[in-house]
Amino acid sequence: MKQSILISGSGGQGVISAGILIAQSAADSGKYASFLPEYGPEQRGGSAKATVLTSDTEIISPLPKKCMYWLCMNEQSFKKFGSQLKEGGVLVYNSNRVVSPITRTDITAIPVPSDQLADQIGNPKAANIILIGALLAARKAIIDPEHFLHSLEEKFMSKSEEIREMNAKAFKIGAEIGSKYDE
Amino acid sequence: MAKILMKGCEAVAEAAVRGGCRFFAGYPITPQNEIPEYLSRRLPEVGGHFVQGESEVASVNMVYGASTMGIRAMTSSSGPGISLKAEGISYLASCKLPALIVNVSRGGPGLGSIQPAQSYYLQATKALGHGGFRVMVFAPYSLQEAVDLTYEAFEYAERDRNPVFLLMDGCLGAIMELVELPEMKEPTDENTKKWNLSKKEGEKRPPRALTPIYPEVILEMENKLRGELYKKWEKEDVKVEEFMTEDAEYIVVAYGIAARVAKEAVLTLREQGCKIGMIRPITLYPFPKQSFHKLDYDKVKAIIDIELTIPAQMRDDIALEVMNRAPIFEYGRSGGNLLDDDGVYDAIMKVIKEVG
Repeated sequence: MKQSILISGSGGQGVISAGILIAQSAADSGKYASFLPEYGPEQRGGSAKATVLTSDTEIISPLPKKCMYWLCMNEQSFKKFGSQLKEGGVLVYNSNRVVSPITRTDITAIPVPSDQLADQIGNPKAANIILIGALLAARKAIIDPEHFLHSLEEKFMSKSEEIREMNAKAFKIGAEIGSKYDE
Repeated sequence: MAKILMKGCEAVAEAAVRGGCRFFAGYPITPQNEIPEYLSRRLPEVGGHFVQGESEVASVNMVYGASTMGIRAMTSSSGPGISLKAEGISYLASCKLPALIVNVSRGGPGLGSIQPAQSYYLQATKALGHGGFRVMVFAPYSLQEAVDLTYEAFEYAERDRNPVFLLMDGCLGAIMELVELPEMKEPTDENTKKWNLSKKEGEKRPPRALTPIYPEVILEMENKLRGELYKKWEKEDVKVEEFMTEDAEYIVVAYGIAARVAKEAVLTLREQGCKIGMIRPITLYPFPKQSFHKLDYDKVKAIIDIELTIPAQMRDDIALEVMNRAPIFEYGRSGGNLLDDDGVYDAIMKVIKEVG
């Protein structure tokens, strides 16, 4: 089954690293994966967007018009990419920054106050991992959350145990919210 | 060997090293910066050399210098930088020196845009520099294909004593996918003796120092040989994917990233019962002429050229082979906008409705 995930936010919020983490984790669990960052002349603070595809079979086109899942980290990109989420899709958004009302009724919207939660565990940089946790717990078919936790651990192997634990904690906080939307 | 998730530019850089590249010179430009960035770290590990030149012109001439010493040398850039390298590339061809040149393309003309585009087809296939020379142009559509083509590029370059050109777009440069990397090749300078000016103990130098200026008789002779070489490529070195073309009424033609999107559309349309296929040139030069000659024009209702550029650049080459036996349509995007699955599907459907 082909899964498509759109990730958007502002440069520095961890859009790219979230995408690579998901793609790497899919690859680790034996799936095909592609990660395509859309780059522009932006610097830190500019808008950032990436598309991740995972599949059990080889990925032909890495350029879908619309994605099934969307991790949205800020208001600006929320306004910009709204039409790129498929009907029936899942939107996981940073409710500390996305302030516009969610008007679409054909999607599942999962608000996650990821900035606030990340601050609470003392690691503002882990807000992206909280969002990933919410998505993967809500839709386990993308990647088994256990698989993702394992890949996350591997990725940060060179970092301190404290950082690795903080990442795992961030993921679980998000997963707790996301699991309420599990189908 | 296990497949690993790699970024396009880095995968190409690693494949070049594994293919024997031991010298790189280049100058920064988006979207190919990850190639020099990776090689600046990687080449010293294998006893190679990395130079960030003071300009594109200097860099391509450093590659020229390294190549005269029998070293597998490469440079990379994107359109504006390749234009600056044009003189040096022409001199490489003139002096019959092998080299690998990678162009990760962006929008054009001029500085254009830094986003992905396929705007350098004409430059790559018709005139990379002055003087009417040609180079083999490889256009991969996946990272695995980019790795495999890069890995064998130096063999073609040395066999033909001519630069080889790898043309990929910014999407393929930036995308991360799974690749299987080949084994490390240890280049020997055995095949390089005809032009290698480095003098080893007990060896004579080649009979003449290389010069880009030839007496009339020799230049004509050399150019005749070039012509023969290009004809030989057409017979022996064409790489192409013919996908579901046998019974096709509609033929999509696309290369590189456009072919990925187009193939998805072909598969979708086939599921819906549409007789559609795709010709995907992997060598843009030599162009896969035979793939068009083989088509059954009693069946083919339309040819659709899909490129990530406006206006389409490959169309003339297609038209030369189709010879008015079927109408040719084109679809593309430009200005930093990307092709997408729905857009390409809709464009093909529009042609099908029009042609009937």
